[in-house]
Amino acid sequence: MPAVQDTIDRVRKIDVDQYKYGFQTEIAVDKAPKGLSEDIIRFISAKKDEPSWMLEWRLEAYRRWLTLEEPTWARVHYPKIDFQDIYYYAAPKSTPGPSSLSDVDPELLKVYEKLGIPLREQEILAGVQKTDASELEEPSDNVYKSGRVAVDAVFDSVSVVTTFKKELAQAGVIFCSISEAIREHPELVQKYLGSVVPTSDNFYATLNSAVFTDGSFVFVPKGVRCPMELSTYFRMNEKNTGQFERTLIIAEEGAYVSYLEGCTAPQRDENQLHAAVVELVALDDAEIKYSTVQNWYPGDAEGKGGIYNFVTKRGDCRGDRSKISWTQVETGSAITWKYPSCILRGDDSSGEFYSIAVSNGYQQVDSGTKMIHLGKNTSSRIISKGIAAGFSQNTYRGQVSAHRKATNARNFTNCDSLLIGDQCGAHTVPYMEAKNSTAQFEHEATTSKISEDQKFYVMQRGIPEEEAIALIVNGFVKDVIQQLPMEFAVEAQKLIGISLEGSVG
Amino acid sequence: MNMHTQPQRTPAETALIDAFGDRLSLLPGDGAVMLKRDDAIEAIKHGLPTRRVESWHYTDLRRLLSVVPDFDPTALAKAVAPIVEGSAVLPVLNGKSEAKVPAIDGVAVQSLSEKLIDGSIAPGLDPYGSDDAIGALNTAFVADGYFVDIADGAELEKPIELQNLQAGGQTHVRLAVRVGAGAKAVIVERQAGDGAALVSSVSQLVLGEGAEVTWLIVQEQPEMATHLAQFKAHIGKNAKLTLFVMNAGGKLVRQEVMVKTTGEGADFKLRGINLLAGDTHSDVTMVLDHAVPHTTSTEIIRNVVTGKARGVFQGRINVHQYAQKTNAKMACNTLLLSDDGEFSTKPELEIFADDVVCGHGATVTEIDHDHLFYLMARGVDEKSARGLLVKAFVAEVIEELDDETIVEALEARLDEWFVTHG
Repeated sequence: MPAVQDTIDRVRKIDVDQYKYGFQTEIAVDKAPKGLSEDIIRFISAKKDEPSWMLEWRLEAYRRWLTLEEPTWARVHYPKIDFQDIYYYAAPKSTPGPSSLSDVDPELLKVYEKLGIPLREQEILAGVQKTDASELEEPSDNVYKSGRVAVDAVFDSVSVVTTFKKELAQAGVIFCSISEAIREHPELVQKYLGSVVPTSDNFYATLNSAVFTDGSFVFVPKGVRCPMELSTYFRMNEKNTGQFERTLIIAEEGAYVSYLEGCTAPQRDENQLHAAVVELVALDDAEIKYSTVQNWYPGDAEGKGGIYNFVTKRGDCRGDRSKISWTQVETGSAITWKYPSCILRGDDSSGEFYSIAVSNGYQQVDSGTKMIHLGKNTSSRIISKGIAAGFSQNTYRGQVSAHRKATNARNFTNCDSLLIGDQCGAHTVPYMEAKNSTAQFEHEATTSKISEDQKFYVMQRGIPEEEAIALIVNGFVKDVIQQLPMEFAVEAQKLIGISLEGSVG
Repeated sequence: MNMHTQPQRTPAETALIDAFGDRLSLLPGDGAVMLKRDDAIEAIKHGLPTRRVESWHYTDLRRLLSVVPDFDPTALAKAVAPIVEGSAVLPVLNGKSEAKVPAIDGVAVQSLSEKLIDGSIAPGLDPYGSDDAIGALNTAFVADGYFVDIADGAELEKPIELQNLQAGGQTHVRLAVRVGAGAKAVIVERQAGDGAALVSSVSQLVLGEGAEVTWLIVQEQPEMATHLAQFKAHIGKNAKLTLFVMNAGGKLVRQEVMVKTTGEGADFKLRGINLLAGDTHSDVTMVLDHAVPHTTSTEIIRNVVTGKARGVFQGRINVHQYAQKTNAKMACNTLLLSDDGEFSTKPELEIFADDVVCGHGATVTEIDHDHLFYLMARGVDEKSARGLLVKAFVAEVIEELDDETIVEALEARLDEWFVTHG
């Protein structure tokens, strides 16, 4: 921005009204006592009615966690987290099963209504109860009529409702909460849980392994193309709770699934912790497309409050010719610490990472990806767009490595940063490691502000400055937006607009 | 240095600490210098950096520095012919400067031991940070070197060649050069020898307003040597520095380049070629600070990796908050010619100002098959064709230097490497 002072002023004006998901809902909850101990883990496990192997798994992770230190290498600064001052389990008192929807707390449904989540409101939820698959196929008149989306909604610590289960089951797809999966499909969970992100992986993943309370489970069997988009909405509502969800997606040979997660939280002055783990497994010829629209509460204009988002996401291209694609739009959270990665184990497998990270106010983003090439003829592609405004710090941190046997590994990386205002920072920290002479890695990164020429070009066509900048920013992130499922591309574009409000308009 | 306290000292750490005790009475310096030496050895007592220290991520010095040779007072290194004929040669032989050096118009030369004894060099001895192991090692042990003062407005016709030659043992040398306002000079820093020495060498350069300097680092240590070097420069207003680094030897090599633009209009160019063979571990780490507005920089690094060599390039461009209108570009290209070799690169941008244009590019690849095909289709056999392409890949960087005699001199060094390493 040329008028630096002007920008600062405008950024200052950002007030709490901007975060439109900042409401809080009074719902009766069932909470575990504050703090973390083996007893709390036993409590969570008992609440979830888990088999004993699961409890053992959690306890082992907890014991391991006690020996670990919090990582400090990321470019994020925050006061030390008191892990004993968090509620590790909070659940809305009524826990509805799909058969008793009337049990769902109307307040809860209102929350989702406010969020605009495609639960298709009451009638769709009711639909899950009363109708069979044929009736569900009728197009409804909501905005998502172009494509149907099955939703798993996670409220604080538990999954409250999953839609379209029946129809998915007909196709052989299992889509349910992970707690349900542990009870109903233990053989699958036992086989895959922790196989991509082991319990000993890192501080936050280990903590998650010990205390995770819910999340989604997706299993797409051999040769099945999942008939609709799958989606999970995460909502943190209770005060002082941490949300620790665990998502596990398995695509068997030749299967395909597209999955989207969205996240919001109420506005609070204190910080809340979110430490999720996502594991993806793609067998031979399978493809998983994972999209995230992350809009946790980012804190107020002074940087007070907001979510600490410490997430471990990893996909394992276990089979030959498998493909995993991560797309993320990161606009929320006070702190983002997140590196969705691909392990390209199978020959000819490929990984993709498309990211838009927008930071404003006092947000701190340290995000990127890892592409680990192990198999032959593997390829990966990284497109990262960072936009920093206000007083925020926006870091891309990525690693691309080719191991000795990764013949013909290919990578292309492009990370561009856009700076709006002179109080923010944009950083690029790529690591490239080649141990095979046939590997071919390309990396390019640029940092700039919106050029005067671009702005002049648009403005001389009669478009006001703020709109011109918005247009240019949208052009800047286009490569990534295009990767999102269509239903969410519009939402993401709007979100970027809202996040930058007050700095570019 | 390392933040974690090491559970047990490695033999190399112990050897360095013991050597300091033995050498202390022989090290020149006034009170201030000696205090800095004490601080430096304290830092080493905390342990050499491991890969957990971010700036040493790819060069785990604690693990890689396995042997520290004793000081060898009997070692005799011989001066060599300068790479550009007619250069004024200032040799440091096995860590010792010459009492008699050639007179150069407009240039005052002092031995560094004098500057240590009178304490005037003390402020420059501070390591730049807790992870500056080379700075600490050098400050603890440095005994000699040169201080070269080029007068304002002096335009040197012939290059000055600073030779740091070793014949085994340990040498710790510092080469400090001040270039006055409007002065012009070509300076060659020659690092070579024939022993299995541990060498630490720190070069300090300050460029006055409007000064123009081309500095060439030619590192051709023998394959058993450990070479830990640092080049630090401050570039003043409208001053221009072209730094050329050629790394073509050594077993364990770390060349740090720490440059700061301190005046508006300052311009920095870095051109580097790293020729890696055998089982060498060679690391070039650059930190460039754009600290004031309106400064420019370009960096091009070309690497050739053969045998079991491991190469590293880390390049960080810091653009400070007030350094608006910075224009900085960095490129690192690597030819990985062997399946046993490896190359790691970390090009970083740290940007706090908004009105800047910064970019970096990095590639790792093998020889382009189309290029190879083109040459072979014209009757060139595969081996020669590969040789031609590899040479062209690095020679391109040398050719960018304007001065023909320098280009020829460097190409001669390049040819020599290709003769030895095929």
